[in-house]
Amino acid sequence: MKPIIQIRDVHKYYGDYHALRGINVDIGEGEFFSLLGPSGCGKTTLLRTIAGFEDLSQGTIHIDGRLMEGVPPNKRPTNMVFQSYAIFPHLTVAENVGFGLRRDPRTPAQKAAAVEEALEMVGLKGYGGRAAHALSGGQRQRVALARALILKPRVLLLDEPLSALDKKLREQMQSELRRLQRQVGITFILVTHDQEEALIMSDRIAVMFEGQIAQLAPPQELYRRPVTRQVAEFIGVMNFLPASVATVNGARIDVEVAGLGTVELAAEQCPGGARSGKGSVGFRPETLTILFEGETPRGRVAEGTVEEVTYYGDMTYYGVVPDGVDVPLTISMRNLVGRRVLERGERTRVAWDPAALVLFC
Amino acid sequence: MRSKGTGFRAYTIAYLIFLYAPIVLLPIFAFNNSTIIAFPLAGFTTNWFRELATIPALHHAVWNSLVIAVSTSILSTCLGVFAARASTRYDFPGKGPIIGFIMLPLVLPEIIVAVSLLVVLLGIGIELSAWTVILGHVLICTPFSIAILNSAFQSLDKSLEEAAIDLGETRWSTFRLITFPLIMPGIISSLLISFTISLDEFIIAFFLTGTQPTLPVYIWSQLRFPTKLPSIMALGTILVALSITLLIIAEYFRRRGIARSGGQDAGGFL
Ligand SMILES: Nc1ncnc2c1ncn2[C@@H]1O[C@H](COP(=O)(O)OP(=O)(O)OP(=O)(O)O)[C@@H](O)[C@H]1O
Ligand SMILES: [Mg+2]
Repeated sequence: MKPIIQIRDVHKYYGDYHALRGINVDIGEGEFFSLLGPSGCGKTTLLRTIAGFEDLSQGTIHIDGRLMEGVPPNKRPTNMVFQSYAIFPHLTVAENVGFGLRRDPRTPAQKAAAVEEALEMVGLKGYGGRAAHALSGGQRQRVALARALILKPRVLLLDEPLSALDKKLREQMQSELRRLQRQVGITFILVTHDQEEALIMSDRIAVMFEGQIAQLAPPQELYRRPVTRQVAEFIGVMNFLPASVATVNGARIDVEVAGLGTVELAAEQCPGGARSGKGSVGFRPETLTILFEGETPRGRVAEGTVEEVTYYGDMTYYGVVPDGVDVPLTISMRNLVGRRVLERGERTRVAWDPAALVLFC
Repeated sequence: MRSKGTGFRAYTIAYLIFLYAPIVLLPIFAFNNSTIIAFPLAGFTTNWFRELATIPALHHAVWNSLVIAVSTSILSTCLGVFAARASTRYDFPGKGPIIGFIMLPLVLPEIIVAVSLLVVLLGIGIELSAWTVILGHVLICTPFSIAILNSAFQSLDKSLEEAAIDLGETRWSTFRLITFPLIMPGIISSLLISFTISLDEFIIAFFLTGTQPTLPVYIWSQLRFPTKLPSIMALGTILVALSITLLIIAEYFRRRGIARSGGQDAGGFL
């Protein structure tokens, strides 16, 4: 992976407030990179330092091998799609999209063709003459995208571009954005606080908490092997049980898990690194399986009582309290043909696989 | 409930009569064929308007007032743009007190401003002229301009300017292409308000004007001669008609600007 952006030891203070606390990350050429984190963790701040709207308090940013210190936003090979879209309300759609071409040496006819092409790319062919303020939310978003992409930047920065759209439109734009990114081959850096969106769209995700990157990984690794409990809780649903490390022999770790007994874990199941003392193990709802009458388990089995039943149509989510513990475990089951939905209070067997556990110390 | 409603209506009507009756009397006596301002009316005439055309001193006063009002409105609007932009976009030490001092003339009695300006100007030996009146008027008009333009800047999304810079424009071209067109309604309001304030301002003009009186000062000087009263009425009629026309034009442009940019109407004059 050839890095196009290199961020080294970046700190940002707003007065006394330490908004970015030592960010180090390389972002690859043509990568779809997401910054994911809760509100106020510094995602926008980091994006704006890349765009050049905020000065760094410490550290360096290189884009395309060039040090960006002192380079103003209009001289950087980046363009930004703002959270509010920032569509110029007094201009037409075509004037908005062609705004960045004002200093371009091409002839007006060539520029008009470029605008038309950009509009076509985002699915707004023929909208050029419309007044920009009369557009719907989804159309604004597309205009903002076309306006930024027409300059063929090396990096496109997107600050929660989909958060203002309703669920259906958002899902449609997610796949469209991904398709567009593959088509133009430009590096996209997406800020979002929606973990699902980040998982769906990204090549890699940086999870941020309080101005620091807690984990930087591709979606699958992030979901399966979160390095801390905080990351695990932020990405999807995870069950936790108290655990303590019994013995470590080489690559294998023996862990005593409340309610489940002793399990042997591989070193990779402890992505956080620490492997001694007390902690917890986590596992995802879909790695647990309710055993219906006559089904034979793969892996190990625990017994418990159904306390919660939430029916979603395609799926049912159960809360099952295993014998010997008092925390309910969330279990998701697909509603296959002929499979019944358990009632609250029923006894059940739960199959689980030690390979699905993640250890946090 | 009903009696409450009629009470309120009566109050409104009385209020409007009180407000507009003098203005309605203006054209009535301007066309009245008598030098005495009193009922019953004596007949229709346009003599008073014709008489206006024959007084060179009046023409000079009108010209002076126009020059002063136009200069004042442009100067105070420019200053207002700078101050409003600084106060809404930047944080700097002492911002609160500085803006406070600029806004102070809004509440200072005009007579105080006029007298102290006169003392200072005489003290440093500047001769009184149209320029000194402009100076005084800019001083009292700028706070109005700032107040109007502040709200224009506040309703302007900061990311619009950032987007323009991000797309390759400089600060100055961003101002010209994005900021200026979008605060245009505010600028028109500011120009209009300062123009009107300056045009009919009396106290500062009276103190600071040299040998060239402004229109209000001229009118005041003519009130001593009862025979001139009807032509003053005619002059007033013209002024009222002019200001109403001006307001309508300005409001038309303001609304068109807002409709064009799809913004919310944040209240105008009409
Ligand atoms: N101009 C500023 N002055 C002072 N503090 C600021 C400024 N901008 C941001 N902050 C603070 O820095 C922290 C990070 O802000 P940032 O906007 O980067 O958060 P975010 O991760 O984008 O959150 P959100 O998801 O809510 O947009 C916040 O606590 C915020 O209050
Ligand atoms: Mg943000």
